[in-house]
Amino acid sequence: MTKEEKKVYVNKKGLRLDGRKIDELRPLTIKAGVLKNAKGSCYLTWGQNKVLVSVQGPREVLPKHHSDPLKAIVKFNYRMAAFSVPDRKNPKPGRRDIEISKVCGEALEKAIMLEKFPNTQIEVWAQVLDSNAGSRVAVLTAASVALADAGIPMKDLVTAVAVGRAGGKIILDLNKEEEDAPDAVDMPIALMTSAKEIVLLQMDGLFSKTEWDEAYELAAKALEQIKEKQVQALKEQFLQESMETETKEKIKAEVQ
Amino acid sequence: MKKIVVPGELITEQRKKMGEHVYSFNGKIYSDVIGITDNESAFASVVPLKGCYIPKYGDIVIGLVVTELFSGFLVDIGSFSLCFMSKEGIREPLKRGSVVSVRVSKVNELNEADLSEPRVFYGGEIYSISPVKVPRIIGKNGSMLEVLRRGTNTNFIVGRNGRVWAKGGNIQLLFKAIKKIEEESHLPNLTNKMSEFLLKEKK
Repeated sequence: MTKEEKKVYVNKKGLRLDGRKIDELRPLTIKAGVLKNAKGSCYLTWGQNKVLVSVQGPREVLPKHHSDPLKAIVKFNYRMAAFSVPDRKNPKPGRRDIEISKVCGEALEKAIMLEKFPNTQIEVWAQVLDSNAGSRVAVLTAASVALADAGIPMKDLVTAVAVGRAGGKIILDLNKEEEDAPDAVDMPIALMTSAKEIVLLQMDGLFSKTEWDEAYELAAKALEQIKEKQVQALKEQFLQESMETETKEKIKAEVQ
Repeated sequence: MKKIVVPGELITEQRKKMGEHVYSFNGKIYSDVIGITDNESAFASVVPLKGCYIPKYGDIVIGLVVTELFSGFLVDIGSFSLCFMSKEGIREPLKRGSVVSVRVSKVNELNEADLSEPRVFYGGEIYSISPVKVPRIIGKNGSMLEVLRRGTNTNFIVGRNGRVWAKGGNIQLLFKAIKKIEEESHLPNLTNKMSEFLLKEKK
Protein backbone atom coordinates (compact mmCIF):
# COMPACT_ATOMS: atom_id res chain seq x y z
CA MET A 1 0.00 0.00 0.00
CA THR A 2 1.45 3.38 -0.98
CA LYS A 3 1.19 6.47 1.19
CA GLU A 4 -1.60 8.03 -0.89
CA GLU A 5 -3.81 4.97 -0.48
CA LYS A 6 -3.62 4.99 3.31
CA LYS A 7 -6.99 5.09 5.00
CA VAL A 8 -7.90 8.27 6.85
CA TYR A 9 -9.77 7.08 9.91
CA VAL A 10 -10.74 10.58 11.05
CA ASN A 11 -10.77 13.26 8.37
CA LYS A 12 -10.19 17.00 8.71
CA LYS A 13 -13.85 17.64 9.45
CA GLY A 14 -13.63 15.20 12.35
CA LEU A 15 -15.71 12.57 10.58
CA ARG A 16 -14.93 8.88 10.46
CA LEU A 17 -15.04 6.36 7.62
CA ASP A 18 -18.78 5.78 8.05
CA GLY A 19 -19.53 9.47 8.54
CA ARG A 20 -19.83 9.44 12.32
CA LYS A 21 -18.20 11.92 14.68
CA ILE A 22 -15.53 10.57 17.03
CA ASP A 23 -17.91 10.51 19.99
CA GLU A 24 -20.94 9.23 18.11
CA LEU A 25 -22.54 5.81 18.63
CA ARG A 26 -23.92 3.64 15.88
CA PRO A 27 -27.74 3.67 15.84
CA LEU A 28 -28.99 1.64 18.81
CA THR A 29 -32.43 0.12 19.35
CA ILE A 30 -33.45 -2.07 22.28
CA LYS A 31 -36.69 -4.00 22.70
CA ALA A 32 -37.49 -5.95 25.84
CA GLY A 33 -39.88 -8.85 26.27
CA VAL A 34 -39.82 -10.20 22.72
CA LEU A 35 -39.97 -13.93 23.50
CA LYS A 36 -43.05 -15.37 25.20
CA ASN A 37 -41.59 -18.69 26.34
CA ALA A 38 -38.59 -17.13 28.09
CA LYS A 39 -38.80 -15.51 31.53
CA GLY A 40 -37.11 -12.44 30.14
CA SER A 41 -35.80 -11.47 26.73
CA CYS A 42 -34.32 -8.65 24.73
CA TYR A 43 -33.64 -7.92 21.08
CA LEU A 44 -30.97 -5.35 20.38
CA THR A 45 -29.61 -3.86 17.21
CA TRP A 46 -26.48 -1.77 17.37
CA GLY A 47 -25.32 -0.69 13.93
CA GLN A 48 -25.01 -3.95 12.03
CA ASN A 49 -24.94 -6.03 15.23
CA LYS A 50 -28.13 -7.90 15.95
CA VAL A 51 -28.41 -9.93 19.13
CA LEU A 52 -31.20 -11.84 20.80
CA VAL A 53 -30.89 -12.63 24.50
CA SER A 54 -33.20 -14.74 26.64
CA VAL A 55 -33.14 -15.49 30.35
CA GLN A 56 -34.41 -18.59 32.14
CA GLY A 57 -34.52 -19.16 35.85
CA PRO A 58 -33.74 -18.99 38.68
CA ARG A 59 -34.19 -22.74 38.61
CA GLU A 60 -32.71 -25.95 39.92
CA VAL A 61 -29.02 -26.41 39.12
CA LEU A 62 -28.14 -29.24 36.78
CA PRO A 63 -25.81 -31.04 37.26
CA LYS A 64 -26.53 -30.80 40.95
CA HIS A 65 -22.90 -30.70 42.12
CA HIS A 66 -22.47 -27.29 40.43
CA SER A 67 -24.89 -25.69 42.88
CA ASP A 68 -23.77 -23.25 45.54
CA PRO A 69 -25.78 -23.29 48.80
CA LEU A 70 -24.89 -19.63 49.45
CA LYS A 71 -25.79 -18.03 46.15
CA ALA A 72 -27.15 -18.55 42.65
CA ILE A 73 -24.82 -19.28 39.75
CA VAL A 74 -25.00 -17.55 36.39
CA LYS A 75 -24.65 -19.63 33.25
CA PHE A 76 -23.97 -17.33 30.35
CA ASN A 77 -24.08 -18.75 26.85
CA TYR A 78 -22.67 -16.56 24.09
CA ARG A 79 -23.03 -18.09 20.65
CA MET A 80 -22.56 -16.67 17.20
CA ALA A 81 -24.81 -17.91 14.45
CA ALA A 82 -23.12 -19.59 11.48
CA PHE A 83 -24.37 -16.76 9.25
CA SER A 84 -23.31 -13.90 11.54
CA VAL A 85 -19.93 -13.33 9.85
CA PRO A 86 -18.95 -12.89 6.16
CA ASP A 87 -17.53 -16.43 6.01
CA ARG A 88 -19.33 -19.34 7.63
CA LYS A 89 -18.65 -19.57 11.34
CA ASN A 90 -18.29 -23.06 12.70
CA PRO A 91 -21.29 -23.36 15.05
CA LYS A 92 -19.21 -25.34 17.53
CA PRO A 93 -18.39 -23.05 20.49
CA GLY A 94 -14.80 -22.01 20.01
CA ARG A 95 -12.20 -20.38 22.22
CA ARG A 96 -13.70 -16.94 21.69
CA ASP A 97 -17.30 -17.96 22.50
CA ILE A 98 -16.22 -19.62 25.72
CA GLU A 99 -14.14 -16.62 26.78
CA ILE A 100 -16.92 -14.12 26.11
CA SER A 101 -19.43 -16.33 27.93
CA LYS A 102 -17.12 -16.33 30.94
CA VAL A 103 -16.37 -12.60 31.11
CA CYS A 104 -19.96 -11.54 30.42
CA GLY A 105 -21.30 -13.99 33.01
CA GLU A 106 -18.86 -12.66 35.59
CA ALA A 107 -19.80 -9.07 34.77
CA LEU A 108 -23.47 -9.84 35.35
CA GLU A 109 -22.72 -11.69 38.59
CA LYS A 110 -21.56 -8.37 40.05
CA ALA A 111 -24.94 -6.80 39.33
CA ILE A 112 -27.36 -9.61 40.20
CA MET A 113 -28.29 -10.13 43.85
CA LEU A 114 -27.27 -13.76 43.78
CA GLU A 115 -27.60 -14.36 47.52
CA LYS A 116 -31.39 -14.12 47.22
CA PHE A 117 -31.57 -17.40 45.29
CA PRO A 118 -29.29 -19.98 46.90
CA ASN A 119 -28.92 -23.36 45.17
CA THR A 120 -30.27 -22.13 41.86
CA GLN A 121 -28.97 -21.19 38.45
CA ILE A 122 -29.82 -18.28 36.19
CA GLU A 123 -29.36 -19.07 32.53
CA VAL A 124 -28.65 -16.39 29.96
CA TRP A 125 -28.69 -17.40 26.31
CA ALA A 126 -27.21 -14.85 23.96
CA GLN A 127 -27.38 -15.43 20.23
CA VAL A 128 -25.55 -13.13 17.85
CA LEU A 129 -27.45 -13.05 14.59
CA ASP A 130 -25.32 -10.50 12.78
CA SER A 131 -22.07 -8.93 13.82
CA ASN A 132 -19.73 -6.10 12.95
CA ALA A 133 -17.34 -5.49 15.87
CA GLY A 134 -18.51 -4.87 19.42
CA SER A 135 -20.79 -7.87 19.71
CA ARG A 136 -19.76 -8.59 23.30
CA VAL A 137 -20.81 -5.13 24.50
CA ALA A 138 -24.05 -5.49 22.55
CA VAL A 139 -24.71 -8.85 24.19
CA LEU A 140 -23.91 -7.58 27.66
CA THR A 141 -26.15 -4.54 27.26
CA ALA A 142 -28.99 -6.72 26.00
CA ALA A 143 -28.45 -9.37 28.70
CA SER A 144 -28.91 -6.91 31.54
CA VAL A 145 -32.16 -5.71 29.99
CA ALA A 146 -33.34 -9.31 29.62
CA LEU A 147 -32.46 -10.04 33.26
CA ALA A 148 -34.40 -7.01 34.45
CA ASP A 149 -37.27 -8.08 32.20
CA ALA A 150 -37.25 -11.49 33.93
CA GLY A 151 -37.76 -9.73 37.27
CA ILE A 152 -34.44 -10.85 38.72
CA PRO A 153 -33.24 -8.49 41.48
CA MET A 154 -30.21 -6.48 40.38
CA LYS A 155 -28.25 -3.64 41.92
CA ASP A 156 -28.13 -1.80 38.63
CA LEU A 157 -28.30 -2.40 34.91
CA VAL A 158 -25.01 -3.30 33.31
CA THR A 159 -24.20 -0.99 30.42
CA ALA A 160 -21.35 -1.63 28.03
CA VAL A 161 -19.60 0.16 25.19
CA ALA A 162 -16.34 -0.14 23.28
CA VAL A 163 -13.81 2.66 22.91
CA GLY A 164 -10.56 2.53 21.04
CA ARG A 165 -8.00 4.13 18.79
CA ALA A 166 -7.71 4.19 15.03
CA GLY A 167 -5.43 6.42 12.99
CA GLY A 168 -4.04 7.96 16.19
CA LYS A 169 -7.42 9.28 17.37
CA ILE A 170 -9.48 8.05 20.31
CA ILE A 171 -12.89 7.04 18.96
CA LEU A 172 -16.09 5.61 20.35
CA ASP A 173 -17.86 2.41 19.32
CA LEU A 174 -15.48 1.04 16.69
CA ASN A 175 -16.74 -0.86 13.67
CA LYS A 176 -14.88 -3.71 11.99
CA GLU A 177 -12.97 -1.45 9.59
CA GLU A 178 -11.65 0.70 12.43
CA GLU A 179 -10.86 -2.32 14.55
CA ASP A 180 -8.57 -3.55 11.76
CA ALA A 181 -6.56 -0.31 11.65
CA PRO A 182 -2.77 -0.83 11.94
CA ASP A 183 -2.52 1.07 15.23
CA ALA A 184 -5.91 -0.08 16.53
CA VAL A 185 -6.73 -0.42 20.19
CA ASP A 186 -10.11 -1.85 21.18
CA MET A 187 -11.34 -1.60 24.74
CA PRO A 188 -14.77 -2.95 25.70
CA ILE A 189 -15.86 -1.50 29.02
CA ALA A 190 -18.96 -2.27 31.10
CA LEU A 191 -20.16 -0.25 34.05
CA MET A 192 -22.89 -0.14 36.63
CA THR A 193 -23.44 3.51 35.89
CA SER A 194 -25.02 4.78 39.12
CA ALA A 195 -22.18 3.49 41.32
CA LYS A 196 -19.53 3.90 38.56
CA GLU A 197 -18.40 0.35 39.25
CA ILE A 198 -16.49 -1.29 36.41
CA VAL A 199 -17.61 -4.88 35.82
CA LEU A 200 -15.83 -5.64 32.56
CA LEU A 201 -12.67 -4.15 31.12
CA GLN A 202 -10.68 -5.75 28.36
CA MET A 203 -8.10 -4.23 26.08
CA ASP A 204 -6.74 -5.31 22.73
CA GLY A 205 -3.58 -3.23 22.18
CA LEU A 206 -2.02 -0.57 24.38
CA PHE A 207 -3.07 2.91 25.51
CA SER A 208 -0.86 5.60 26.99
CA LYS A 209 -2.02 7.12 30.29
CA THR A 210 -3.46 10.26 28.66
CA GLU A 211 -5.18 8.19 25.98
CA TRP A 212 -6.77 6.00 28.64
CA ASP A 213 -8.11 9.06 30.49
CA GLU A 214 -9.57 10.42 27.28
CA ALA A 215 -11.05 7.03 26.34
CA TYR A 216 -12.66 6.53 29.73
CA GLU A 217 -14.26 9.97 29.64
CA LEU A 218 -15.62 9.27 26.16
CA ALA A 219 -17.00 5.90 27.29
CA ALA A 220 -18.58 7.29 30.47
CA LYS A 221 -20.50 9.87 28.46
CA ALA A 222 -21.72 7.29 25.95
CA LEU A 223 -22.76 4.86 28.69
CA GLU A 224 -25.21 7.45 30.03
CA GLN A 225 -26.90 7.57 26.63
CA ILE A 226 -27.04 3.77 26.38
CA LYS A 227 -28.41 3.43 29.91
CA GLU A 228 -31.22 5.82 28.99
CA LYS A 229 -32.15 3.57 26.07
CA GLN A 230 -32.12 0.48 28.30
CA VAL A 231 -34.41 2.11 30.84
CA GLN A 232 -36.69 3.33 28.09
CA ALA A 233 -36.92 -0.17 26.59
CA LEU A 234 -37.92 -1.67 29.93
CA LYS A 235 -40.53 0.97 30.72
CA GLU A 236 -41.91 1.05 27.19
CA GLN A 237 -43.50 -2.39 27.56
CA PHE A 238 -45.92 -1.15 30.16
CA LEU A 239 -46.66 2.16 28.51
CA GLN A 240 -47.38 0.38 25.24
CA GLU A 241 -49.74 -2.09 26.85
CA SER A 242 -51.77 0.64 28.46
CA MET A 243 -51.86 2.58 25.20
CA GLU A 244 -52.97 -0.51 23.32
CA THR A 245 -55.87 -1.19 25.65
CA GLU A 246 -56.84 2.46 25.59
CA THR A 247 -56.93 2.52 21.80
CA LYS A 248 -58.79 -0.80 21.74
CA GLU A 249 -61.40 0.65 24.07
CA LYS A 250 -61.63 3.78 21.92
CA ILE A 251 -62.15 1.71 18.77
CA LYS A 252 -64.77 -0.38 20.51
CA ALA A 253 -66.57 2.73 21.74
CA GLU A 254 -66.51 4.19 18.23
CA VAL A 255 -67.96 1.00 16.76
CA GLN A 256 -70.73 0.92 19.31
CA MET B 1 -47.51 9.55 43.02
CA LYS B 2 -46.91 6.11 41.57
CA LYS B 3 -44.22 5.53 38.97
CA ILE B 4 -42.49 2.66 37.21
CA VAL B 5 -38.88 2.06 38.22
CA VAL B 6 -36.16 -0.23 36.87
CA PRO B 7 -33.26 -1.89 38.72
CA GLY B 8 -30.79 0.69 40.03
CA GLU B 9 -33.20 3.60 39.79
CA LEU B 10 -33.24 6.06 42.68
CA ILE B 11 -36.39 5.84 44.79
CA THR B 12 -35.71 8.42 47.45
CA GLU B 13 -32.89 10.37 49.06
CA GLN B 14 -34.85 10.75 52.30
CA ARG B 15 -34.54 8.48 55.30
CA LYS B 16 -37.43 6.05 55.09
CA LYS B 17 -38.26 2.60 56.33
CA MET B 18 -37.21 0.08 53.74
CA GLY B 19 -39.80 -2.33 52.38
CA GLU B 20 -39.37 -5.05 49.78
CA HIS B 21 -37.22 -4.95 46.65
CA VAL B 22 -35.11 -1.95 47.63
CA TYR B 23 -31.53 -1.55 48.83
CA SER B 24 -29.58 1.34 50.26
CA PHE B 25 -26.28 2.62 48.92
CA ASN B 26 -24.47 5.74 50.17
CA GLY B 27 -27.52 6.73 52.22
CA LYS B 28 -29.89 6.67 49.26
CA ILE B 29 -32.53 4.06 48.49
CA TYR B 30 -32.61 2.31 45.12
CA SER B 31 -34.93 -0.21 43.50
CA ASP B 32 -33.57 -3.67 42.68
CA VAL B 33 -36.33 -4.81 40.36
CA ILE B 34 -38.68 -3.54 37.66
CA GLY B 35 -41.86 -2.46 39.40
CA ILE B 36 -44.08 0.29 40.72
CA THR B 37 -43.21 2.56 43.63
CA ASP B 38 -45.33 5.05 45.51
CA ASN B 39 -43.31 8.02 46.76
CA GLU B 40 -46.08 9.23 49.08
CA SER B 41 -46.05 6.11 51.21
CA ALA B 42 -44.10 5.96 54.51
CA PHE B 43 -42.21 2.90 53.27
CA ALA B 44 -39.74 2.95 50.43
CA SER B 45 -40.73 -0.21 48.60
CA VAL B 46 -41.31 -1.55 45.10
CA VAL B 47 -44.16 -3.78 43.95
CA PRO B 48 -42.57 -5.95 41.26
CA LEU B 49 -44.16 -6.21 37.82
CA LYS B 50 -42.23 -9.35 36.91
CA GLY B 51 -40.73 -12.15 38.92
CA CYS B 52 -40.88 -15.72 40.08
CA TYR B 53 -42.58 -17.46 43.00
CA ILE B 54 -40.65 -17.80 46.24
CA PRO B 55 -42.51 -19.86 48.88
CA LYS B 56 -43.48 -18.03 52.07
CA TYR B 57 -44.80 -19.46 55.30
CA GLY B 58 -48.59 -19.73 55.31
CA ASP B 59 -49.12 -19.39 51.54
CA ILE B 60 -51.90 -21.41 49.94
CA VAL B 61 -50.64 -22.76 46.63
CA ILE B 62 -51.87 -25.09 43.91
CA GLY B 63 -49.60 -27.98 43.08
CA LEU B 64 -49.28 -31.26 41.28
CA VAL B 65 -48.27 -34.47 43.07
CA VAL B 66 -45.22 -35.71 41.17
CA THR B 67 -43.99 -38.70 43.17
CA GLU B 68 -45.00 -40.75 46.14
CA LEU B 69 -42.28 -41.59 48.64
CA PHE B 70 -42.31 -43.92 51.62
CA SER B 71 -43.18 -41.18 54.08
CA GLY B 72 -44.68 -38.48 51.90
CA PHE B 73 -45.19 -36.93 48.49
CA LEU B 74 -43.18 -34.61 46.27
CA VAL B 75 -45.31 -31.77 44.97
CA ASP B 76 -44.53 -29.34 42.14
CA ILE B 77 -45.69 -25.88 43.20
CA GLY B 78 -43.75 -23.94 40.56
CA SER B 79 -40.93 -23.05 42.93
CA PHE B 80 -37.21 -23.75 42.30
CA SER B 81 -37.45 -27.36 43.43
CA LEU B 82 -40.07 -29.98 44.27
CA CYS B 83 -41.56 -29.65 47.76
CA PHE B 84 -42.02 -32.39 50.32
CA MET B 85 -45.37 -33.14 51.97
CA SER B 86 -45.44 -35.64 54.82
CA LYS B 87 -48.08 -38.39 54.85
CA GLU B 88 -48.62 -37.85 58.56
CA GLY B 89 -52.19 -36.80 59.31
CA ILE B 90 -53.27 -36.85 55.65
CA ARG B 91 -56.55 -38.62 54.92
CA GLU B 92 -57.01 -37.55 51.32
CA PRO B 93 -56.51 -40.29 48.73
CA LEU B 94 -53.46 -38.75 47.06
CA LYS B 95 -51.58 -40.36 44.21
CA ARG B 96 -49.27 -39.37 41.38
CA GLY B 97 -51.02 -36.80 39.19
CA SER B 98 -53.40 -35.45 41.82
CA VAL B 99 -53.96 -31.70 41.73
CA VAL B 100 -54.03 -30.28 45.23
CA SER B 101 -54.17 -26.99 47.07
CA VAL B 102 -51.69 -27.02 49.92
CA ARG B 103 -50.44 -24.75 52.66
CA VAL B 104 -46.73 -23.93 52.99
CA SER B 105 -45.94 -25.00 56.54
CA LYS B 106 -42.19 -24.46 56.62
CA VAL B 107 -39.59 -22.66 54.50
CA ASN B 108 -35.86 -22.97 55.04
CA GLU B 109 -33.01 -20.63 54.09
CA LEU B 110 -32.65 -22.33 50.72
CA ASN B 111 -36.29 -21.49 49.85
CA GLU B 112 -37.24 -25.17 50.10
CA ALA B 113 -40.77 -25.56 51.41
CA ASP B 114 -42.60 -28.25 53.36
CA LEU B 115 -46.30 -28.56 52.68
CA SER B 116 -49.36 -29.63 54.64
CA GLU B 117 -53.19 -29.55 54.65
CA PRO B 118 -53.79 -30.87 51.12
CA ARG B 119 -57.15 -30.55 49.46
CA VAL B 120 -57.67 -32.63 46.34
CA PHE B 121 -59.37 -31.14 43.30
CA TYR B 122 -61.48 -33.32 41.07
CA GLY B 123 -62.10 -32.04 37.54
CA GLY B 124 -61.96 -28.35 36.71
CA GLU B 125 -59.32 -26.44 34.80
CA ILE B 126 -56.07 -24.72 35.72
CA TYR B 127 -54.77 -21.44 34.34
CA SER B 128 -51.31 -20.11 35.13
CA ILE B 129 -50.34 -16.47 35.49
CA SER B 130 -47.28 -14.62 36.73
CA PRO B 131 -47.10 -15.01 40.55
CA VAL B 132 -46.46 -11.27 41.04
CA LYS B 133 -49.90 -10.48 39.58
CA VAL B 134 -51.78 -12.57 42.16
CA PRO B 135 -52.45 -9.64 44.55
CA ARG B 136 -54.24 -7.81 41.71
CA ILE B 137 -56.52 -10.80 41.11
CA ILE B 138 -57.42 -10.86 44.78
CA GLY B 139 -57.81 -7.09 45.07
CA LYS B 140 -58.21 -5.06 48.23
CA ASN B 141 -59.88 -7.32 50.82
CA GLY B 142 -60.79 -9.73 48.05
CA SER B 143 -62.83 -7.17 46.10
CA MET B 144 -61.65 -8.39 42.72
CA LEU B 145 -62.35 -12.02 43.65
CA GLU B 146 -65.91 -11.05 44.48
CA VAL B 147 -66.33 -9.27 41.12
CA LEU B 148 -64.99 -12.28 39.22
CA ARG B 149 -67.06 -14.76 41.19
CA ARG B 150 -70.27 -12.82 40.68
CA GLY B 151 -69.52 -12.06 37.03
CA THR B 152 -68.75 -15.62 35.97
CA ASN B 153 -70.53 -17.86 38.52
CA THR B 154 -67.45 -20.06 38.73
CA ASN B 155 -66.03 -21.77 41.76
CA PHE B 156 -62.32 -20.96 41.71
CA ILE B 157 -59.25 -20.85 43.91
CA VAL B 158 -56.22 -18.64 43.37
CA GLY B 159 -52.89 -20.01 44.57
CA ARG B 160 -50.09 -17.67 45.60
CA ASN B 161 -47.88 -19.38 43.02
CA GLY B 162 -49.99 -17.95 40.22
CA ARG B 163 -52.13 -20.99 39.44
CA VAL B 164 -55.87 -20.60 39.28
CA TRP B 165 -58.11 -23.66 39.55
CA ALA B 166 -61.70 -23.21 38.35
CA LYS B 167 -64.76 -25.38 37.99
CA GLY B 168 -68.35 -24.77 36.90
CA GLY B 169 -69.91 -21.63 35.44
CA ASN B 170 -68.32 -19.68 32.63
CA ILE B 171 -64.67 -20.77 32.90
CA GLN B 172 -63.65 -19.32 29.52
CA LEU B 173 -64.87 -15.88 30.55
CA LEU B 174 -63.06 -16.16 33.89
CA PHE B 175 -59.75 -16.99 32.21
CA LYS B 176 -60.28 -14.20 29.71
CA ALA B 177 -60.86 -11.78 32.57
CA ILE B 178 -57.80 -13.03 34.46
CA LYS B 179 -55.67 -12.60 31.34
CA LYS B 180 -56.92 -9.04 31.04
CA ILE B 181 -56.07 -8.36 34.69
CA GLU B 182 -52.58 -9.74 34.16
CA GLU B 183 -52.02 -7.51 31.14
CA GLU B 184 -53.28 -4.37 32.86
CA SER B 185 -52.08 -5.02 36.38
CA HIS B 186 -50.01 -1.83 36.44
CA LEU B 187 -52.99 0.43 35.68
CA PRO B 188 -55.22 1.99 38.34
CA ASN B 189 -58.95 1.46 38.93
CA LEU B 190 -58.87 -2.15 37.77
CA THR B 191 -61.79 -3.51 39.81
CA ASN B 192 -64.31 -1.12 38.27
CA LYS B 193 -62.92 -1.78 34.81
CA MET B 194 -63.28 -5.52 35.32
CA SER B 195 -66.88 -5.35 36.50
CA GLU B 196 -67.70 -3.31 33.41
CA PHE B 197 -65.80 -5.77 31.23
CA LEU B 198 -67.66 -8.76 32.67
CA LEU B 199 -71.03 -7.04 32.22
CA LYS B 200 -70.21 -6.27 28.60
CA GLU B 201 -69.02 -9.80 27.87
CA LYS B 202 -72.11 -11.34 29.44
CA LYS B 203 -74.37 -9.51 27.03
